[in-house]
Amino acid sequence: MWKDYSRSYLKHNRAACVSVMAAAFIASLFLSLLCCTAYNFWAYELEKIVREEGDWQGRVTGAVDEDGLSVIQNFENVEKVVRNGDTVDIYFQNIRTIYEDMPLIAELLGLENGDISYHSLLLSRYLVHSPQDDEPPLLLTLYLGILLLVSVSLILIIRNSFELSMNSRLHQFGILSGIGATPGQIRICLLQEAVYLSVLPLLIGSLAGIGASFCVIGAVNLFAANMPGRYEAVFQYHPAIFAATLLASAEAVLFSAFIPAVKLSRMTPLEAIRNTGGLGLKRRKHSPLLSRLFGMEGELAGNALKAQRKALRISSLSLLLSFLGFSIMLCFTTLSEISTRETYFERYQDAWDIMVTVKDTAVEDFELAKELRNIKGIGELVVYQKAQGMAVIPKEAQSEELLALGGYEALSGETQEQVKAPVVVLEDESFLEYCSQIGVPQSLEGGIVLNQIWDSTDSDFRNRRYIPFVKENIKQEILFGLDGNGGKAEISVLAYTREAPVLREEYEDYGLVHFLPASVWGNISEQLGGGEAECMLRILAGQRDSLEELCSLEASVMEVLKPVYAAESENRIQEKLANDQMLRGMMIILGAFCVLLAAIGIANVFSNTLGFLRQRKREFARYMSIGVTPQEMKKIFCIEAFVIAGRPFLVTLPLTALFVQFAVKASHLKPMVFWAEAPAAPILLFGLVIVGFVALAYFIGGKRILSCDLNIELKNDALV
Amino acid sequence: MEILRCSQVTKIFGKGDNQVTALDKVDLSVEKGEFAAVIGASGSGKSTLLHILGSVDKPTEGTVTVDGVDIGELNQREAAIFRRRKVGLIYQFYNLIPTLTVEKNILMPLLLDKKKPDREYFDTIVKTLGIEDKLDSLPSQLSGGQQQRAAIARSLIYRPAILFADEPTGNLDRKNSVEIIDLLKLSNRNLKQTILLITHDEKVALEAERIITIEDGRIISDQRR
Repeated sequence: MWKDYSRSYLKHNRAACVSVMAAAFIASLFLSLLCCTAYNFWAYELEKIVREEGDWQGRVTGAVDEDGLSVIQNFENVEKVVRNGDTVDIYFQNIRTIYEDMPLIAELLGLENGDISYHSLLLSRYLVHSPQDDEPPLLLTLYLGILLLVSVSLILIIRNSFELSMNSRLHQFGILSGIGATPGQIRICLLQEAVYLSVLPLLIGSLAGIGASFCVIGAVNLFAANMPGRYEAVFQYHPAIFAATLLASAEAVLFSAFIPAVKLSRMTPLEAIRNTGGLGLKRRKHSPLLSRLFGMEGELAGNALKAQRKALRISSLSLLLSFLGFSIMLCFTTLSEISTRETYFERYQDAWDIMVTVKDTAVEDFELAKELRNIKGIGELVVYQKAQGMAVIPKEAQSEELLALGGYEALSGETQEQVKAPVVVLEDESFLEYCSQIGVPQSLEGGIVLNQIWDSTDSDFRNRRYIPFVKENIKQEILFGLDGNGGKAEISVLAYTREAPVLREEYEDYGLVHFLPASVWGNISEQLGGGEAECMLRILAGQRDSLEELCSLEASVMEVLKPVYAAESENRIQEKLANDQMLRGMMIILGAFCVLLAAIGIANVFSNTLGFLRQRKREFARYMSIGVTPQEMKKIFCIEAFVIAGRPFLVTLPLTALFVQFAVKASHLKPMVFWAEAPAAPILLFGLVIVGFVALAYFIGGKRILSCDLNIELKNDALV
Repeated sequence: MEILRCSQVTKIFGKGDNQVTALDKVDLSVEKGEFAAVIGASGSGKSTLLHILGSVDKPTEGTVTVDGVDIGELNQREAAIFRRRKVGLIYQFYNLIPTLTVEKNILMPLLLDKKKPDREYFDTIVKTLGIEDKLDSLPSQLSGGQQQRAAIARSLIYRPAILFADEPTGNLDRKNSVEIIDLLKLSNRNLKQTILLITHDEKVALEAERIITIEDGRIISDQRR
């Protein structure tokens, strides 16, 4: 049949072939572009995490001897074990069971659960979350959801274009069946045609999508070139993506080609022959709203839409998915922009102007503080280093306010008395200044405890309320090291305070932060361990508003530091500018992505509406034959266009509002803050573009219908 | 020799209140080489009968045997092959495939069977039907009469056991109608082709040697002439 029928059909129906080929090409191009770009963003994120925090998956801290190491190595799911000083990093064959395997490993080693830790950020990128985490990060899931929505929408384009061309051919297949073509022959014929029309466009589309994705990654690199600390993204590709996109598109093609065959097998050849693409209702329908609003034309339009409900379902779904993806993506971007602004830039606005990280230098070994303070333009300099320790806080030591809320256990979920005790070591001079700031007699004989814990039951992370952590009667405290060797150090508590020094630091939610002078830390650092390898310089400038001033000050600081230390610096205004630039770049890329979503939906609705009209020439010819005027026909077209374009609007807007309500609640943002910046204009614009394109499709289709030859269109009516 | 037999054939369309009985326990037998016409008013059930006999539609009840084959027992594939080899169908609106040339349209039943056409027989048919110079044309390039001739040629190409013609002249002018009926008579006489013709036109029916009258889904008279 290929040689005798299909080739001839394809030759004589170039327009239908081109529309199928174009649909296959466009859908596979966008699908490949989306999947490839999403994969690259994911791979970049993964690489960033690995660069910054390592690629370990599970970690055991504490005394693990060679036997212990061999126990871990022989654990069934363990792939690799790497010892790093006092810690053992574990890599698993199947990371999905890590949260079950690690406690078992700890048990085999005779260790406590507190001795094991997870690289939860890295694991979350593989969608592996702790079962105890009630609110796992859903960002990746959201992105995957949007990707899935758009992919389905793209696949529907292929399905749609096939459906349109195949529907009009049921009549022909009916004739073929009437003269003896078997269902198998018709199926094979349809498949051959589908493969012939789609293979090349799918391949070229997929490859073009990869190329476009390469350009997108290049554009991202260009926009984010000046971002401090960012490294260039290298385009990556995985054959599985190619296979997946091609497979998804090919399946859509084959599935779409099978639909008419299935339809045909459900009807007699006579029914197929009678099928001329006309509409029919199985039961009497009434469109009360449309007929009340628009009279008889409303009734006719409503019935036609009801009769075509099945055919329009795909285009409505596709439009809905892309509109939904578009709206949610825009709202999500707005939400995250507000969040970054509120939780970072506005929060640390007055905490720093220039930050310098001095590599491989402990705070007590840093010797250039005096020289730096002498630089003209420096308002304030704090030199500090961070370290991690533990403190034992029994219940009786906890504050009355904390106990009233159920104690440390109730807030943090931890059952042990050991709590994290982050240590911030301030250079002596900075420490003395801090003493003055909080009204404590200046002394270098002990440390100051930031006596506060986040009351997470009565406040959210955006509007935190703090309560005292411990009773303030203990004057000597013991800090424990984290290395598991039993290292500990006793420190004098000079004061308890609720006011931290102004630093660009975020402290543990449920930790008891200690501020120590460098001279005290110098005496205990060896037995305690846990100090970070670098120290930080926090500088406030005399002139805080000028980029030139800050850049010049930064250069002067680095000039002093560079000959002695390896150091990296950043300044506040430049970081804000770089962030703004990155956000602009991101908005351009996301905007392009949203435009892409919009184009997919509109292309779909346009092709569907046009095809939908093409199939209805006879229906409209019947209207005209009984005296419906061209003006009344135009009115019918307008009503139909209004319903087709309005439906996705009506469904999407409440769903988007629900999403926004959920997201605003989850991020503890004030609804009005979001609504003041809600991306209403682009969403509305997208809606208007949809209306415009549906109207355009109706305009083109309507023009053709109104100029058709009534005689020809009505001729076949006598058949049945 | 009996080539067609239908017993107690009933066809009901719709359900419940909308139920319409198009054929009501119809019994019919056609002998090999016979040229019979079924005549009846519009809506009498004649086209429904022909479609069931041609296996393009299924009866609600009853059996139809064509050339010894009970067509009600055939599955979809078997029914298709049966139509291809045993039955020729001519419709009022020709039902030619618009994208194939006239020659391809005529040869389609053979091509579906991957059979080489008998060139001599093909030439005889197209010459007899007077479309030998239209073989490379597309259906849309032919007049209604020429399209119907091509459809008749297609129905004859497999030398079917029986040829069913559903109002073959219903869409043609008088001159073309006469010619088409003459051609059917010619194929009946020369090729010994059994023909069952459906028509509402008495003049056309009078050309047949047997006239079966159908009314409200029942055969009310069966006259041999």
